[in-house]
Amino acid sequence: MPDLSHLLLAVLQALLLLAAAPLVSGMSRVVRAKMHTRHGPGLLQDYRDLFKLMQRQDVRPPSAGPVFRTMPIIMMACMLVIATGTPILTRFSPISACGDLITTIYLFALARFFFALSGIDSGSSFAGIGASRELTMGVLVEPVMMLALFMAALLAGSTDLGAIGAAVASGRVHSLTAVIVAGLAFAFAVYIELGKLPYDMAEAEQELQEGPLTEYSGPSLALLKWSLSLKQVVVIAWFVGVFLPFGSSLDLSVGGVLLGLVAFAVKLVLIFLAVGIVENSVSRTRFRLTPQHSWLGVGIASLSFVFYLVGL
Amino acid sequence: MTATTETRIGQPYLAALRKKLPHAVLEERWQTDDQVTVTVKLGSLPEAVATLYYEHDGWLSTMVGNDERSLNGCFALYYVLSMEGAQKCHVIVHALVSADDLEFPSVTPKVPAAVWYEREVRDMFGLRPVGLPDERRLVLPDDWPDGLYPLRKDSMDYRFRPEPTADNETYKFVNDSKVETTVVPLGPLHITSDEPGHFRLFVDGETIVDADYRMFYVHRGMEKLAETRMGYNEVTFLADRVCGICGYAHSVAYASSVENALGIRVPDRAQAIRAILLETERMHSHLLNLGLVCHFTGFDTGFMQFFRVREKAMTLAEMLTGSRKTYAINLIGGVRRDILGEQRLTTLKLIGELRAEVKRLIDILVSTPNFEGRVKGVGLLDPQVARDYSPVGPVVRGSGHRRDTRADHAFAGYKLIDMPVHTQAGCDILSRTLVRIAEFFDSIAIIEKLLEDTPTGPILTEDFAYKPYKFALGYTEAPRGEDMHWSMTGDNQKLYRWRCRASTYNNWPVLRYMLRGNTVSDAPLIVGSIDPCYSCTDRVTIVDVNKARSKTIAYKEMERYCRERTDSPLK
Repeated sequence: MPDLSHLLLAVLQALLLLAAAPLVSGMSRVVRAKMHTRHGPGLLQDYRDLFKLMQRQDVRPPSAGPVFRTMPIIMMACMLVIATGTPILTRFSPISACGDLITTIYLFALARFFFALSGIDSGSSFAGIGASRELTMGVLVEPVMMLALFMAALLAGSTDLGAIGAAVASGRVHSLTAVIVAGLAFAFAVYIELGKLPYDMAEAEQELQEGPLTEYSGPSLALLKWSLSLKQVVVIAWFVGVFLPFGSSLDLSVGGVLLGLVAFAVKLVLIFLAVGIVENSVSRTRFRLTPQHSWLGVGIASLSFVFYLVGL
Repeated sequence: MTATTETRIGQPYLAALRKKLPHAVLEERWQTDDQVTVTVKLGSLPEAVATLYYEHDGWLSTMVGNDERSLNGCFALYYVLSMEGAQKCHVIVHALVSADDLEFPSVTPKVPAAVWYEREVRDMFGLRPVGLPDERRLVLPDDWPDGLYPLRKDSMDYRFRPEPTADNETYKFVNDSKVETTVVPLGPLHITSDEPGHFRLFVDGETIVDADYRMFYVHRGMEKLAETRMGYNEVTFLADRVCGICGYAHSVAYASSVENALGIRVPDRAQAIRAILLETERMHSHLLNLGLVCHFTGFDTGFMQFFRVREKAMTLAEMLTGSRKTYAINLIGGVRRDILGEQRLTTLKLIGELRAEVKRLIDILVSTPNFEGRVKGVGLLDPQVARDYSPVGPVVRGSGHRRDTRADHAFAGYKLIDMPVHTQAGCDILSRTLVRIAEFFDSIAIIEKLLEDTPTGPILTEDFAYKPYKFALGYTEAPRGEDMHWSMTGDNQKLYRWRCRASTYNNWPVLRYMLRGNTVSDAPLIVGSIDPCYSCTDRVTIVDVNKARSKTIAYKEMERYCRERTDSPLK
């Protein structure tokens, strides 16, 4: 049972991610503009966008049902719950019940399920295609994620994200090569999960008019956009917490947590810069070819299992 | 007339036609050395067109309907064939349609390329093509009253608007698929095209089984406008505005149609300047399309970079013509602005920079990960389909056919140079893109060549008089392909008839075949690969845009279809 200070930390880090998410997506836009040789919007543009959308009228298609209405809230809630459990500022998970890797994977799957369902519920054919793509992507990505994380769990002897992270950071693992290879596979899966080019299949603007987002407007679009950028940050935090936990605090001391915050921010910015460069120098993959790409991920993750067996 | 018997090109075609259909040919009239109008009996019209088309390497360039009741009591049809066999010329098959029964035998069953023209002439003149397989309206909106034919001379005055007759879109989209499909509507307004056009994709999962589309949402009634309100020289400026990208090609085509009709000899220097400006236009148009190819594949960085470089081509246009678009340069008989020595030097400097920068960008584009995967083997245009439908420009050249008006029927300054023609055999988007890339570098070479030894002399001749009821063709190779204009002078200092056919008009009918078998996600890319120009196509009749547009979108129907979707995309 977590005590009060753990709970406080969990809420604090979830709110922190929520507040920082538009900043991070704003940074992606700045990088994008630089790559385009454009002036582009400022760093805070996404806050302005959200503020503007919040004041707008919420228009729904007449055929849309309760799923369409509640999806942005469910999405946001799922992401916040994951954010409370992920080891972000500390080496351990603040609420270990939420910090289990199986729970986390299923919370992501829940969000994905409702995201896809709302696309079908909206009645727009573009949203419908986007929804079926979203589910297909889930089928393709989740095995890679599972396999890679289970490898790490196997190596660390626990499915708790904090425990895995701690084991990785201290080097107390059965096979270092296996960890690195599993980390690579997981990084690949996480990249697809970010929904960035070349894998932004469901929200492909030119192909599907942003898929499931097509029919949303006003506050619910704001909430959805916010959740999607929060999802990107959470996914990165998840990766960092498990495979790159270096610099996070070992205890609950204020100084340690602050230092952990700085370390996390630096890692986040570096990763998003790298992602920004990748996403702006490629074309979108043809949707039919995506399975070939995800097989690569499965291959890498399996390789990690081989290394584990060999014990290298 | 400059035409003399000895120098006339294309006489073997006429001999062959007379031999095949001994009693059909009534009369031949030569407009220039390489343009001849053959009058045939109405009953032999399909046979005559099909003979020239399939047996003598003819391609259908345009078809002109004309209300000649005040001249000879009949309606007239002119099927313009671009002969690209041993002798390169234009043969125009002409037939008169009686004003009493208004019927003519449809050419479409023999030559599919005629389908859009015959649908259009049915809308505009009320002539009935007997045997036309597709009898839907092409140009007129659904709420246009029956029995009102805009291009007839006794039609409603252009200052009035007819009352709309229907509230809903009644257009039937054709779906030839054998399996159950769902409908994905692309448009009338879609995120990747800034102009309205309504595509219906009939899909099974994500695979397009069939497609249909309708254009002409934004008709501007330019032909009627020119015939009722404008003098000859004003129409050159109107023709500039047919297209926002390749308007100068239309202006040159129109001017040369009148020049051909009246036998005006345009000074060589003016011809060279026209060619230089046409190539300037081609450069910025091709850079636009290369950028858009990047955009449609999600590679926005490439899009932005191509647009950055394209700015140099716009600067060039501004320096040479005074506006960023190559506007307002033509007059009948020549051009309005000369290229001075200093401008020549600046031009050479600018195109040198363009060559280097575009080369770098092309290298980046070709080496971009998964770019080739997106465009290779996508949007295949079968060479036989291309042969049947007479598409033009990079679309037809990407399918292995050597068609380029600049080489086949050299006009303006292209008579002074050797024109290379680039073809690719891949039939896909990659091929079309590679053709455009090669043509971009050709444009630079052509401008350099023409600036190097520009003919000297005047740039405009005014030594001519307008004579009534003379007609001829004028043509250019616009960036998107051949533009074909047909003009007939009138007796009131206005055109009796102006028929303007933009390049994209010939490319739309084949799009259906290019879309089949691809995925929904590739649809915008495929549409983009013909470099479509909606406004060029949408130019013919007077439509109250607001009334027609406000009631057409049947979203309820789309939603109903959408819920019927059964199959998942990946199997």
